[in-house]
Amino acid sequence: MLIGRGIRKCFNGREVLHGVDIEVSSGRISVLVGPSGSGKTTLVRALALLDCPTEGRVAFQGHDYSFPLRGRARIRPPWPELTVVFQQHFLWPHLTLRQNIELPLRERPASRHTVDDLIELFRMRDFVDRYPNAASIGERQRAALARAFALEPKCILLDEITSSLDVEQTGSVIRHLLALRQRGVGMLVVTHLLEFARRLLSRDEGDRIFFLDEGRIAAAAGVEFFDSPATERAREFLHSMDYWGASSICDTKHKGGYLP
Amino acid sequence: METFVDIITRYRQAFLSGLRVTVELALIIWCSGVLFGSVIGIFAAKFKKAIGIPARMCSFVLSGIPVLAYLFWAHYPMQAILGTVINPFYTAAVVLSTINIFAVSDLIGSQLLDFPEQYNVAAKVCGLSARTTILKIQLPIILRQVIPALLPLQVIMLQSTLFASLISVEEIFRVAQRVNSVEYKPVHIYTALALLFLLVCLPVNGFAIWLRRRFTRNISET
Repeated sequence: MLIGRGIRKCFNGREVLHGVDIEVSSGRISVLVGPSGSGKTTLVRALALLDCPTEGRVAFQGHDYSFPLRGRARIRPPWPELTVVFQQHFLWPHLTLRQNIELPLRERPASRHTVDDLIELFRMRDFVDRYPNAASIGERQRAALARAFALEPKCILLDEITSSLDVEQTGSVIRHLLALRQRGVGMLVVTHLLEFARRLLSRDEGDRIFFLDEGRIAAAAGVEFFDSPATERAREFLHSMDYWGASSICDTKHKGGYLP
Repeated sequence: METFVDIITRYRQAFLSGLRVTVELALIIWCSGVLFGSVIGIFAAKFKKAIGIPARMCSFVLSGIPVLAYLFWAHYPMQAILGTVINPFYTAAVVLSTINIFAVSDLIGSQLLDFPEQYNVAAKVCGLSARTTILKIQLPIILRQVIPALLPLQVIMLQSTLFASLISVEEIFRVAQRVNSVEYKPVHIYTALALLFLLVCLPVNGFAIWLRRRFTRNISET
């Protein structure tokens, strides 16, 4: 389980996160939504210990990290048991997509996944030997996801991973995320696509949705959040997102593509 | 009519001797520049204030003043101060190596500082060790960035060895000058000199092309 408590993050004296509390339970999906600039990516980086919080506590799998660090203390973040997939993919440009997936596995011989399984799973056979700059954005995104899934993390933070995927690929990602949940992997999914969030979350599994607004968790709820948001601000946000989201879903319907 | 080939043939011993000195000088400059320049560049990127700023200042000063001035400053006053005769070859090797070392360190240091952080972040969250990150991620990417600028710099350093003749190093330009003072056929003789320089540059350029093909590729994403 990944827990963040009282997470504050300041950049040049400007406070971006104001004491955020959040949990990502094992075998559950937590969705983080919020308007642009609300601090979603900053929170993901703080939870992943890539940019350590200015203040607060992050706990993961028995490890406890308290901030600010004392003196010259250094931490050993729990990567790749806790890993991140970024919106911008961050694939290594001098390696082919296959090599991007294979390289981290060289240091993890115990991984159950073979690269070929993942290539098959993400339907990457036709382009897996291309370099990132010769692949489409969607293909790069799939390679980034395959690289992270190959590591078999205990918890995975996914930052706007569907932003460059088409409906069919998004459906494939949803299926895989649900399969990972079955295996006990905890996930924090940052998205602005409410339909994507709705399809991921399950009432029965105890999944959670967090609404981040101006660096604060303005609402934390279960799936009922979509039907009865707790605050006026959340209602307003959902309304605006649903307006745009509804139109995009309508478009996909016309193309014969409800999310599979 | 006598051609430059005839002149090369006639003075082949002198030209070969000069060429040997030029190649020796160039090898010292290249090896020390790439080796020590890389080390200083790495430390300059790691310790920006303590090493980075002084190294950059040195590079700025060294590249801003003509090589000739350094050679004269280092050779004649140094002999007077030490009260001994210094082989001009050593002076030229030290001066030109120093210039190359700081030019290379500037190049490497700036490439390291400009290294895209996202590739390190990806390596971290994928659990790569520091060794794998350096060897498999940072080094190949930095090599790709550095090679296109490093090789022309080394060719310029090779051409800078010509200045060593002005402190009496018996390198190829000085040999050409001597031959010219006897034959007085500057066009022929300096064409011969150009040909010999091209001969030295040919393997260097071949190596550069091989390195470019081996390591550089447009890796920018659209």
